[in-house]
Amino acid sequence: MKARRGPMLRLVNVLRRYRGWMLLGALMALLGVLAGIGLLAVAGHFIAAMGLAGVAGVALNYFTPAALIRLFAIVRTGGRYLERLLTHEATLRTLSGLRLWLFDRLLPLAPARTGFLSHADLFSRLRADVDRLEHAFLGVGVPVVVAVLAVPVVLVVQAIHVWPLAVFTAGVLLVVAIMLPWWLVHRGEAPSVAIAERETALREGVDDLVRGAPELMLYDAFERRQQEVEAIAARQHEDRRTLDRLQGWSSALVPWTAQAVAIASIGWATVAYREHALQAADIAMLALLALAVFEVVAALPEALAQLGATRLSARRVFALADQQPVVPDPLQPAPSPQGFDLVVRGLRVRHAGMSEPVLDGLDLDLPAGARVAITGVSGSGKSTLVNVLTRLLPCEAGQVSLDGRPIEVYAGDAVRAKMAVVEQRTQLFRASLRENLCIAAPDASEGAMRDALRIAQLMPFVETLGDGLDTWLGESGVQLSGGEARRVAIARAVLADRPILLLDEPTEGLDADTAAALMQALGDWSHGRSVLLISHRLGAVSRLVDCVLHLEGGRLHPWRAGGPPA
Amino acid sequence: MAQTQQAQVWLDAAASNVRRRLRLALAAAITGTVLLCLQAALLAWALQQAIFEQAGVQELVPALAAYLLLAGLRFLLAVRGRRASFEAGQEVVATTRKRILDHMRRLGPVWLTHQSGGARITQVVDGIDALAPYYARYLPQKAASALLPLVIVATVFPFDWVSATVMLVSAPLVPLFMVLLGDAAERASQRRWLSLTRLGEQFFDSLRGLVTLRLFGAGQVRRKHLARASDAYRRETMAVLRMAFLSSLVLEFFATVSIAVVAVLVGFRLLWGDLDFFRGMYALLLAPEFFLPLRALGALRHARMDALSVATDLDSLLSQAPGPSVQAAGPRSESCMTHAAVALDLKAVRYRHEADRGGVLDFSLSVPAGAHVVLVGASGSGKSTLLQLLLGFLAPQAGSIRVDGADLSTLDPAAWRRRLAWVPQRPHLFAGTLRDNVLMACPQADDAQLERVAAQVGLDSVLQALPAGWDTRLGEYGHGLSGGQAQRVALARALLRDASLVLLDEPTQQLDAGSAATIQRGLTTLRRDRTVIEAAHRLARALQADLVVVMERGRIVESGTPEVLMHAGGAFQHLLEAEAAA
Repeated sequence: MKARRGPMLRLVNVLRRYRGWMLLGALMALLGVLAGIGLLAVAGHFIAAMGLAGVAGVALNYFTPAALIRLFAIVRTGGRYLERLLTHEATLRTLSGLRLWLFDRLLPLAPARTGFLSHADLFSRLRADVDRLEHAFLGVGVPVVVAVLAVPVVLVVQAIHVWPLAVFTAGVLLVVAIMLPWWLVHRGEAPSVAIAERETALREGVDDLVRGAPELMLYDAFERRQQEVEAIAARQHEDRRTLDRLQGWSSALVPWTAQAVAIASIGWATVAYREHALQAADIAMLALLALAVFEVVAALPEALAQLGATRLSARRVFALADQQPVVPDPLQPAPSPQGFDLVVRGLRVRHAGMSEPVLDGLDLDLPAGARVAITGVSGSGKSTLVNVLTRLLPCEAGQVSLDGRPIEVYAGDAVRAKMAVVEQRTQLFRASLRENLCIAAPDASEGAMRDALRIAQLMPFVETLGDGLDTWLGESGVQLSGGEARRVAIARAVLADRPILLLDEPTEGLDADTAAALMQALGDWSHGRSVLLISHRLGAVSRLVDCVLHLEGGRLHPWRAGGPPA
Repeated sequence: MAQTQQAQVWLDAAASNVRRRLRLALAAAITGTVLLCLQAALLAWALQQAIFEQAGVQELVPALAAYLLLAGLRFLLAVRGRRASFEAGQEVVATTRKRILDHMRRLGPVWLTHQSGGARITQVVDGIDALAPYYARYLPQKAASALLPLVIVATVFPFDWVSATVMLVSAPLVPLFMVLLGDAAERASQRRWLSLTRLGEQFFDSLRGLVTLRLFGAGQVRRKHLARASDAYRRETMAVLRMAFLSSLVLEFFATVSIAVVAVLVGFRLLWGDLDFFRGMYALLLAPEFFLPLRALGALRHARMDALSVATDLDSLLSQAPGPSVQAAGPRSESCMTHAAVALDLKAVRYRHEADRGGVLDFSLSVPAGAHVVLVGASGSGKSTLLQLLLGFLAPQAGSIRVDGADLSTLDPAAWRRRLAWVPQRPHLFAGTLRDNVLMACPQADDAQLERVAAQVGLDSVLQALPAGWDTRLGEYGHGLSGGQAQRVALARALLRDASLVLLDEPTQQLDAGSAATIQRGLTTLRRDRTVIEAAHRLARALQADLVVVMERGRIVESGTPEVLMHAGGAFQHLLEAEAAA
C-alpha cells in the first residue's frame, strides 16, 4: 500500500532510476572519507614508529607506511573530486526526474485539483518543497550513507586492537550519531513548522503590501500592515534562533565527544600496551583514528535536522501528486469523434464543498456550425460550463454528447482535440511569441501564424516588436497588457484550427473599436465552425453569434431584450 | 564584473552594523584555535609519555583531563561564536527587509502596482533570507581562513621550525588558489546558479500553464521540451563544473602534499634522532588544521553567490528614486465620517510616465462641489493617471491641483486621503476576515453600519452564502471571491467612508450586467452629495454625468454636459456611435 509507506521511502522510489548515480556518488564520498581516516591513522602510527626506531637506533621499513600514505592521499583527493562530480551529476538528474514526475502527476489533475497553482503563496511553497527534495540527496542522503558504511570499518579496526574501545566508541556513536539527531528531528519539529507557517504569513503580508498598496495607502493602513509584516519576521527570527541553537550546540557536541573518545583511546591503549597486548605505535594510531571517525558523523546532526523539513516537503508534494483526477479517462476509449455536434441535457454540476449546484438542469444545443453566446452574472457558472464541455470537470447528473455519443466514452484528449479554447485567465508561457502560438500547432507555418495574429488584431502590435515572432514574452521580455495577452490567446486558438471554438470573455480589456474588428474577423474566419462565446456583457460580441442565451439559476434562458430578468 | 563589484560594495555596507557580532564570532574562532593548539600540545605530550616513557594511565590523567576541559571550552566557544554569527545574519535580514519595505512604500502605490507581485514576494521573502548565510557563515569563515592559519604557524614555529616553514612555504599558495578558485569557480558557480534558476522558471511556468497545455493536448510536447532542456542544461553545467572542481582538486592536492611533506620530514628527523616525538607529533596534529579553514570556505562559496545576486537585485530596487514624496501620516484621530463635498480646480496639470507609457498633459478642469464628472477615452488616454494624481499617489510634474482653493501638494497626504473614497478596477482583498477587509476603510464603524453598507452594495447575499459570514477568512485558505464579489467589498469600503471626493476607476468594467446593476445602485448611494470623478469604459455611465470629459493621449479633446456632447458631432458622439455599432 503506497499510502502506508513513509514519504522518504516513496521519494527514493520515485527517484529509483537515479539510484545508480547516487550510490556511485556516495561510494566515492565513502572512499574519500575512508582514505582520509586511513591517512590520519597511518600517519600517527608512522610517526610513532619512526620515533621509536630513532630512540632504539634500529632500522625500520618505512616504505610500506610511506606508500600507504601516498595511496591514501591520492585516493582521498581523487575521491573528493569524483564525489563532487558524481553527486552533482546525480543531483541534476534527480532534479530533472523529480520535476518530470511531478509534471506527469499534476497534468491530469488540472484545473480541478490544482487551484493552488494560481495562488502565489501556495505556489512558492511548492517551489520550496521541490527545491528541498531535490537537494535531499546531497544534504541528507550522502552524509547518512557514508556514515553508515564508514563507521563499521573503523569499529572493526578498533576491535582488532582493543575491543572494549570499539564497544565504547560504538556506544558514544549511538548517542551522538543516532539518538542525538533523532532527538533533534523531534525537538526541532515545532520551530521548523512555526518557521514555515510564519513564512506563509510573511508572503501573504508582502502580497498585501505590493498588490494592495493603493488601498492600504488610501486607508492609511500601509504602515500598520508593514509593522505586522515586520512583527511576523521578528517572530520567525525567534523560531530560527531556537532551531539554530539546537543545531549549534549539537553540532559542537560531536567534536567534543570525538576528543573524549580520543582520550579514552589513549587510556585504553596505554593499559593494553602495558599489558603487552598492543604495540606502542598503535597508541598514536588509535588516538587519531578516534578523532577521524567522528569527522564522518560530524555532519549528521545538521543533516538530520533537515530531515524533518524534508519529510514535511515530501509529504506535501505527495499529497498533491496523490490526488485522483476528477475526470478519469475510460479504460477503453471510443475512437475519436468525427462530427462535432454538441448537445447538453439536464446538466448538473456542483463545486466541492458547496451545498447548491452551480449548474442545474442546463440544456444546450450547439450543432455543427452554430454560434451561441452565453451571458450571465459573475459566479453563475459560465466558466464551469466550459470546463465541463472540455472534460476538465465532471458533472453530477445529465449528459454532454459529442457527435451523438456521451463524452465519457471518449478519451479526454480526443474531446479536447475538437475544441480550441480561449481561457478567461490567459496563460502565456515565458517563451517566444512563436512558441506561445505553437503550443496548439507545433508545425504551424509562419504564414499561418501571421494569419492568426491578423485575425486576433495583433499584427500592428507584433510589427512594433523588434524581434517579431521571436520576441520573448514575460518577465525578462516584453510585458503584454491584459488585452494583448488575451489576443495572443485568441491567435493561438485560431492557429489550433479546431472545429469548435470556445471563447471565455474574449473582449475583456479591449476598447470598443478593437473588439468590434476582432469579432468581425473571427466571424469571417469561423465559418463552418461552432462557436460558443461566453461573456458577462454583450456588445461587440453579439455580431459573432446567431443566438444569445442567458445563464441564471443554473440553466440557460433565452435572452430578453432590455437586460437580464430582474 | 562591475555589477559583481557593486553588489559586493552593497553587501559590505549592509554589514556595517553587525561588525561587532562578526568580530565576536571571529574572536571566538581565534580563541578556539589557540585552545586547539594547547590541546594538540597536551595530546602530543600524553602520547609521548605513553609511548616513550612507559607512563601509566594515572600519570596521564592530569593532561588528559586538561585536554577534555579545553575541549569543553572550545565547545562553549563554538556555540557562542555560532550564536553571534547567526544573530549577525538575522540582523542584516531584518534591517534589509525593513529598508526594502520602507523604500517600496516611498516608491508609492503606482510603482508597486506595476510590479509583478510574485517576483516581489520572492524578493522580499526568499531573496532577503538568502543574505543570512553570507553574513552568518561566509564572512566569519572568510576572516577565519585568513587568520587561523597564521595562529597555527605561529604556535608551531617555536616547537618545530621546519614544519612551520613547510606551512609558510605553502601559505603563499593560498592567496594564489583564492584567485584561481575565485575566478574560475566563481564563474562556474554563477553559471550553475543561472542555469538552475532558468530551469526552475521554465518548469514552474509550465505548471502554471497546465490547464492550457491540457486544453490544447500539448502536455506531452511540453514534457519532452522540459526533459530536453534539463538534459541540455545538465550537460552544459557539468562541463563547467568539471573545470571548477578541478581547481579545488588542485587545492586539495597541495594541502595533502604539504601535510605529507610535514609528516615525512618529521618522520625522518625522528628516525635520525634530530627531533623529539612531542614536537613532531605536535606539528603533525596541527598540519591538517592549517588548511581546514580554507577548505571550509570553499564549501560556502554558494552562500556568497546567492548573496551577490540578491544584492544586485536589491541594490537596483533601492536605487530607484521615489516619485512624489509621501509625507508621514498625520494624526489618526480625525473621523472618517464627516466630510463635505469638495470643489476641484486643476490647472495645466502634467504627468508623463517613464518610457512613454502615457500620462496626462496640460490638463485643466474645474469641478464644482457635488458634481459628477465622467472621464471617457481609450485605455492609455490618461484616465487612471488623473485619478492617481487626485489620490496623491503621483505629484504633478507641472501645473497645480487645488482642493477648495488649497494646493493639494500643501495638504497632508494622509489627511487628504481620509477624505477620499475610491473604487479601483481590481480591488485587492487582504489576508484577514471579510470584516477586516471592509472595516479597514473606517475602523470605528459599528456592525449596524457594516450591515447597512453590505445591503446597499448587495454584499448581504454573498454573506448569506458564506458559512462564517463576516468572519470568513479571505485569501490563502479561505474563500476566494469572484471579481464581482470582490468589487462589492471594495464598494462597501468606499461607502463606509463619508468621503468628500469619490474616485471610481471603471468599477463595473469586469462585471456582468446583473452585478453591474447592483453595483450601480450602490454607486448611486455613494454619489449623493459628493464630488465624483469617474473613469468609465461604458459610455452609458457618461450619459448620467453632470460633466463629460473626453480624453485622448493625456489631453482633453472635448468636455461638456452629455446632452450637448451627444449631438456636438465631436469625439464623444463618435465614441457613442462606435459603441452602438458594436
